[in-house]
Amino acid sequence: MPEADAIRLAQQGDAPAFERLYRLHSRRVYSLCLRMVGNTAEAEDLTQEAFLQLFRKISTFRGESAFSTWLHRLAVNVVLMKLRKKSGTETSLDEMTEPDEESGGPRRDFGGPDLRLSGSVDRVNLQRAVEQLPPGYKAVFVLHDVQGYEHNEIADIMQCSIGNSKSQLHKARMRLRELLHEALRAKAREERKAAGADSGGED
Amino acid sequence: MVATTCKDFLNHVEAWIGGEHHPDANAHFRNCPACRSLVEDLNAIRSEARSWTAEEAEPSPRVWNSLRLQLEQDGLIHEAAKTEPAPVTTGWLSGWFRALPRPALAGAYLAVLIAAAFALSRPIDRRINEARWLEGTQVFTFPLSAQLDTEQNAAYSLRNSDPAVTASLHQNLAIVDNYITLCEKSVREEPQNEMARDYLYEAYQQKADLLAQMTERGEAIQ
Repeated sequence: MPEADAIRLAQQGDAPAFERLYRLHSRRVYSLCLRMVGNTAEAEDLTQEAFLQLFRKISTFRGESAFSTWLHRLAVNVVLMKLRKKSGTETSLDEMTEPDEESGGPRRDFGGPDLRLSGSVDRVNLQRAVEQLPPGYKAVFVLHDVQGYEHNEIADIMQCSIGNSKSQLHKARMRLRELLHEALRAKAREERKAAGADSGGED
Repeated sequence: MVATTCKDFLNHVEAWIGGEHHPDANAHFRNCPACRSLVEDLNAIRSEARSWTAEEAEPSPRVWNSLRLQLEQDGLIHEAAKTEPAPVTTGWLSGWFRALPRPALAGAYLAVLIAAAFALSRPIDRRINEARWLEGTQVFTFPLSAQLDTEQNAAYSLRNSDPAVTASLHQNLAIVDNYITLCEKSVREEPQNEMARDYLYEAYQQKADLLAQMTERGEAIQ
């Protein structure tokens, strides 16, 4: 069943059409939620909530934007709302970045040729770093770099300007780099400490 | 674009990694190890992030089942027309399975989950090598998979009221099985990765939940 037909039938309350729409989009929505919250149970709850909101409003869908954009907008809002509740603050999307970076411009931490990430970025340490990003950065990073959306689509989903999307992505990547460097340095320190302990033990 | 300093280059680095290589920036890039390192790092991050797309997994079947229930309660979807139940596949296993009282079935699922939790959450002794850990994991998880498969065969043999629901549950089961295969592969590749073990445990849990649902539906009409 093509998506357009499924939407039309779901608007009339047809159960298989709802399921069809769910099957078409659940993987991407779940993946977005999972990357944003880093926990499968929570990501499933958020996926369910996003689809519930979508299906409750489906009769109002007139096709002005793409259905997937509309769904992703709902999903991002559901996730951001959850993260706001977690942090216990009511903040706008623009405020969900780091204030020092907002006011101070891009960081000048270029790193050096002796400390490169190439070859040491893997799924686990990148996921850990992503989890530490402010929610606004995280959303743009996941949408662009993981899910492959273009800036104009992200601007639609996040309801911000294209420039804002580009700027958030740049800051997200720079912050990730910093976090990954910190993790590398911590690991190197641990290894040195362990090597020291081993050689001390042999004496 | 004039990129003669690191600051200039940083302001245009996104364009650079997007493939816009202006000659001024090129000249700076060639002579600046710090900016080359920056570009390498950002490319490594982008490349790893993009590889995640291939790892996208389905949410567990419970999401759709709960969602459908909620939609029914909200009156947003029409009940599917009731159809005749599919013919019952009988066999010694189904007879054995039907003969079990419900608490025994619940107990079987619980036993699977407890065993899975024990097998997958044992503290890892960092001194043992990966091969030994992997061997231990296989010893524990192989009987679990086999037990779940047995439960699955038994659940398949139960009568269900609605072929559409049966088809949907079977489809969900296939998704969970794929998910388990992926998780088992991850655990084999990275036996010491706690996240991979967590995912595998959750996958087993999802399958046990789903089989419990199938049993519940099947038994409700016996």
